[in-house]
Amino acid sequence: MVHDSNDGHIPSAYSIVDILEVLYRAVLKFDARNPEWPERDYFILSKGHGCVALYTVLHRHGFLTDEDIKLFCRSGGILGEHPDRTKVPGAEASTGSLGHGFPFSVGIALGHRLRGMHNRVFVLVGDGECHEGTIWEAANVANNLQLGNLCVVVDWNGSAAQLMPRDDLPAKWRAFGWNVTEIDGHSTPAIEAAFRGLQMQPEGQPNVIIAHTLKGKGVPMLEGHGPWHHRTPTDEEMQVIMEALR
Amino acid sequence: MSPKSIRQQFADTLLAVGQEDPNLVVLVGDISHFLLQPYAKACPGRYYNVGICEPTIVSMAAGLARTGFHPVVHTIAPFIVDRSFEQIKLDFCYQQLAGNLITVGSAFDYSNLGITHHCYDDFALIKALPGTEIVYPSTALEFDALFRQTYNDRALTLHRVPGTSHEVEFAGGDIQVGRGIRVAEGRNLTIVATGPQLRSALDARPGLLAAGWDAEVLYIHTIRPLDTALIRASVEKTRNVLVVEEHMTSGGLGDDVLRTVTGIPGLQYASLSIPDRFVTEYGTYEEQCERLGLTSGGIERKVREHFGARPPVKTA
Repeated sequence: MVHDSNDGHIPSAYSIVDILEVLYRAVLKFDARNPEWPERDYFILSKGHGCVALYTVLHRHGFLTDEDIKLFCRSGGILGEHPDRTKVPGAEASTGSLGHGFPFSVGIALGHRLRGMHNRVFVLVGDGECHEGTIWEAANVANNLQLGNLCVVVDWNGSAAQLMPRDDLPAKWRAFGWNVTEIDGHSTPAIEAAFRGLQMQPEGQPNVIIAHTLKGKGVPMLEGHGPWHHRTPTDEEMQVIMEALR
Repeated sequence: MSPKSIRQQFADTLLAVGQEDPNLVVLVGDISHFLLQPYAKACPGRYYNVGICEPTIVSMAAGLARTGFHPVVHTIAPFIVDRSFEQIKLDFCYQQLAGNLITVGSAFDYSNLGITHHCYDDFALIKALPGTEIVYPSTALEFDALFRQTYNDRALTLHRVPGTSHEVEFAGGDIQVGRGIRVAEGRNLTIVATGPQLRSALDARPGLLAAGWDAEVLYIHTIRPLDTALIRASVEKTRNVLVVEEHMTSGGLGDDVLRTVTGIPGLQYASLSIPDRFVTEYGTYEEQCERLGLTSGGIERKVREHFGARPPVKTA
C-alpha cells in the first residue's frame, strides 16, 4: 500500500498490527456488512497515523475491498494517511491530530452506558500521543465516571522516550486510577490473554493495556526510531521488506 | 418586575427540553452548576459537571453525538471557542456531528477579568468551520426560541449568551433561526445591529434624524446562516449601511454584511465594532461600551464621521 502510493507510516503500523489482528479476530463484536450495527463493540485508532494497520485488518474482515486498498492515498480513493470516518466503513472516528480519539471515546462509552447498552469501547493511543494533555484529562474523567466499558491500549513503542525519557507509563496510568495490564505487544498469546482477562462492565474501573512494542517490528531494516517513520521504500527496499516478512 | 435574565431562561429551557427529549445531555465546565440543578434532578444521568478540562469536554460531547445524543457544552466563551477550537473543528465539524456550545461571557461581559475571560473572536472562528450555526439570543424569549429550533438539528450551533439584554420584546413567532427582523423602517441609512447593541441602534435614531439620517434598523440574532435577503433589500433602498456588533472588526458580522451588499451602486459602509486589539481596560460592561463607542452616542458619532451630515429629515 505504502510502496504503491509512495506515502504512509510503516513502522507505526507494524508496532500495532499484532494487537489489531487479535482485536478483530478474537475480541470485537462487529458486522462488516452493517458497520453501524448498534450492538457492535467500538475500536478507535486514536494514533491515526497507524492507519495502514487498521486498513489491512478492516480489509481482511470484509469492511474494505481490494479496490479500496489499491486506491490508498490516490485520487478517487477513500483511504488517506489518517482515517476519515465519513468515508471508511468500520472507522469509528476520524483521527490524525493526536489526543482526540481517546476523549471522543470517553463520550462514546458514556453514551452507551446512558442508553443501558453493553457495547465495549477500545481505543489505541501512542506513547508519543501520551504527551498530549487531553490524554490525561480524558484519563482523569473516565476514571471519575468509572467507565468500565472502556479499554485503552497504549502502543509503547518508545517514540515518547526519544523526547521525554522519564516515561513510566504504567505508574502514570495507575496514578490516574486505571487497571493496568502490561504485555508484550507482539506476542499473540499474551495479547489474547490480556483481552480475555478484562472485566468490562458499563460501570467500573477503566482498563488500560500497556503494550511493549517495537516500531517496524518484523523487518530489521525498519525497526527502531530511524528515518523510516514517514518514509516509503524503493523497489529494492520493498524486496528486502517482503523477504523479512516471509 | 424586571424581565427574566437570559441566563435563567437558559436553565429553564434546558429543564423543559430535557424533560421532553431523553437525548439531551448537558456537560458543563464548572459553571452554572447551581443554576442547572433543576435540570440535573429532572434528567438523571444526563448532566455532568465534568471538570476544568474544556477540550476533553468538547471531544466527549462529540462522542455522545456519535451515539445519537444532542449534547450541550456550557462554560465561559473563550474556554470553549478559543481553547477547544481544534476539538470543535475535528471532533464535531470534520466528523459531521451536531451539538450545541452555549457560552457565557459574551465579548467583554467579564470586563474586569481581563483578556483571559474575554471572547470577541468567536464569530470569526466558528464561521470558519463548515457545518456550523451561530445564534446570539439577547432576550430570554430569543434564547428559548432559538435553542428549541436548533438544538437537535444537523449543525454544530454556537449559542452566544450575553449578560445584557436589548430588552426589545418580540413576539415568539417572530424569532426564526436565520431570519433577521426589521425593527424600524428608514429611508437613507441601514443599521444592522446584533446582540444588546440593538438597544443602542434604536436609541440613536432620534439624534440621527436630526442629523439627516432616517435609519432603518435590522436586528440579527442569527449570525450564521445570515439573512442576506433582508440586509440586501434594505441597503438597496438606503445605500448606506452601518454594522454594530460586540465583536472584533475582523471576521465579524460586518464582513458578512459587506459581502452581502457589494455591488450596490453608491454604497457606503461602516463598521462599529471592537478594533482589532485586546480590550485591556477595566471597568463595567457599560464603561467598556462607552470607551469603544458601542452606544447610541457612539453610533451618532460614527455616522457623522463616516457618512457626513445631511439636511435634517422632515418628519410629519
